[in-house]
Amino acid sequence: MDSARQALRLLRAYGLRSVLTLFGLVWGTASVVFLVGWGESLEEVVDRGFEKAGRDLGQLSAGTIGEEFTPSTDRRQLLISWQDVAAIRRQARLARAVGAETRRYLPVTAGSLSFHREVRGVEPEGLRIRAIPVAQGRTIRPGDVGERRPVAVLGFEVAEDLYGARPAVGRRLRIDGRFFEVVGRLERMGAQFGQDGEPIDDQIWIPITTHFASWPTPGTEPNAVSTVLYRLSRSSAVDATEDELRRLLAERLGVDPKDEEAIVGWSASRTLAQIPLGELRGILALLSVTTLAISGIGVLNLMLDTVRQRRREIGLRLAVGARPLDVVVQFLIETATIVALGGLLGIAIALALILAFAAVDLPEIIPVPRVSVPAIALALGVMSAVGLIAGGIPALRAARVDPASTLRSDG
Amino acid sequence: MGVGEAANAILDLEGVHKHYQTDRVDVHALRGVDLRIATGDYLSIMGPSGSGKTTMLEILGLLSPASAGTVRFQGRPTSGLDVTALAHIRSQEIGFVFQAFNLLPRLSAVENVELPLVYQRSGGGPGGRRSRRDRKERAIEALRRVGLESRAGHLPGEMSGGERQRVAVARALVNDPAVILADEPTGNLDSKTGEEVLSLFDALHEQGGTLVVVTHDERVGARAARTVSVRDGVIERDD
Ligand SMILES: Nc1ncnc2c1ncn2[C@@H]1O[C@H](COP(=O)(O)OP(=O)(O)OP(=O)(O)O)[C@@H](O)[C@H]1O
Ligand SMILES: [Mg+2]
Repeated sequence: MDSARQALRLLRAYGLRSVLTLFGLVWGTASVVFLVGWGESLEEVVDRGFEKAGRDLGQLSAGTIGEEFTPSTDRRQLLISWQDVAAIRRQARLARAVGAETRRYLPVTAGSLSFHREVRGVEPEGLRIRAIPVAQGRTIRPGDVGERRPVAVLGFEVAEDLYGARPAVGRRLRIDGRFFEVVGRLERMGAQFGQDGEPIDDQIWIPITTHFASWPTPGTEPNAVSTVLYRLSRSSAVDATEDELRRLLAERLGVDPKDEEAIVGWSASRTLAQIPLGELRGILALLSVTTLAISGIGVLNLMLDTVRQRRREIGLRLAVGARPLDVVVQFLIETATIVALGGLLGIAIALALILAFAAVDLPEIIPVPRVSVPAIALALGVMSAVGLIAGGIPALRAARVDPASTLRSDG
Repeated sequence: MGVGEAANAILDLEGVHKHYQTDRVDVHALRGVDLRIATGDYLSIMGPSGSGKTTMLEILGLLSPASAGTVRFQGRPTSGLDVTALAHIRSQEIGFVFQAFNLLPRLSAVENVELPLVYQRSGGGPGGRRSRRDRKERAIEALRRVGLESRAGHLPGEMSGGERQRVAVARALVNDPAVILADEPTGNLDSKTGEEVLSLFDALHEQGGTLVVVTHDERVGARAARTVSVRDGVIERDD
């Protein structure tokens, strides 16, 4: 195409200025493809994290009575007992499952190694709620709880820290001086969002009854649990489910069910909903699209300038028979060539960068930008709009050149 | 005017006026011009600077509309035609030669000559466009007629003034126009190279071409079969 060839001549004629203009286009489209692709994977990373922690997981724990609630002078730490949890489990209708967990940081010793880890007392109901797969051996069973057995299941990293690549099952370790037998090792969970306490990979699980007996809560309630776990049923909304459990629990503790300081609630799905992912993606898209649009100003200026300098040429073309439409088309093609050159180069660079990112082994918590078809479509769309505007305005101006002026221009 | 005469006329101006209006001035450049150009005419338009010669040529070339009066092209009034229709007539029927050559500096001689053909809509190709090959052949043929076939690939900057103006003449005749309009074609040339261009015009005239040449050059006046003298926007003499 003659006009395409003209566009390349034009770029050569403008030297540094065309380099800068093209750079703007490259940067603009590259940032759209890269940032929008990144935003998409951001969502995926968060999603994956929540999937691991359990998207339909919720927790309730006891706090102290809030200031607007009576008796607010009673500032003691409220306690939820294992019996309370069992009673709630019987009464609750909306939650799919209700379980208890208790936790404590304790020194763990195996051979010459010793460090502190989070030790959780668990029961089979709670484990079903968490649904963490076991890599080796077994998990805590009802018999372990019933008989208060000194058995432990290790999180992936804990086993790694203690025994490296060697099998963990069958070994003995000491927790706060007491002997435990390792009966299982959990799968690696990796990054979790909405986690409570330590990541599961860094936890040690023992039967909840063994936990109560070994480290009873001082005071009137030795069997106090740290958290009440529940799993949403498919049909019930998180708010209704939590409200029901909160009401049942409040009744047993003698507090107001509306007191969110007395009974502290947390749910994965609500936390997920609170992360402004849509807004984040929107901001990324907006930023990158704006960059691309601004690069269009460079193109517009270049084209306006070339139209100004080529008035004689335009007038001559019109005089020898070009229709104004021919002139418009010519300048649109010239602009489109320039925009396509910079834009497609930008898209190519962004894709190369994304592939390079994918090749590097990054921690899974860092979102790796994805090759996103919508992002490429967005880049192409904005590019076309930029081309149409940055080319259209100069093209219309060119079409208005008076062909009679060719008879009067000198030189 | 007789019917036979009108049918024979390529261009016909009747009571044409032209005003140039700017925010500061209103120039009355043509004040009632009657002029008929028939097939085969070789006409020179002469007159002092500012008398309205170029303005007259603009109107004859359908580059700019008359403010009043009638302009007919091959018997049909042009006042109702839109820019596209006017562009079509220019691309098919009119060839222009300008004082300043007006070649595109980045295009070779043959590409410059091709330019009017690019915009023609009566060729055999899609949308009535001429094929690239057809355009090239015709452009080379036109260059041959002005004796510059061997310079086809040269850029304007690589040619002398006389050669450049001959390329411009080739461009004017490449579309086989009904009339060639030239404004001061020898104005930028010395007498020897000017002579080259003028003998080209003679040859075109002999082959039956129709030429209108605006000029200060007495030699053109001498060669043209008919000379029109313009003064202050009116035709003073036509013989
Ligand atoms: N675009 C314009 N705006 C205003 N006035 C104009 C314009 N073009 C021409 N004129 C005026 O119209 C009058 C006729 O101009 P024109 O160019 O036709 O003269 P000319 O006979 O060709 O002169 P020259 O021999 O110097 O080329 C002049 O007074 C000129 O100043
Ligand atoms: Mg003039």
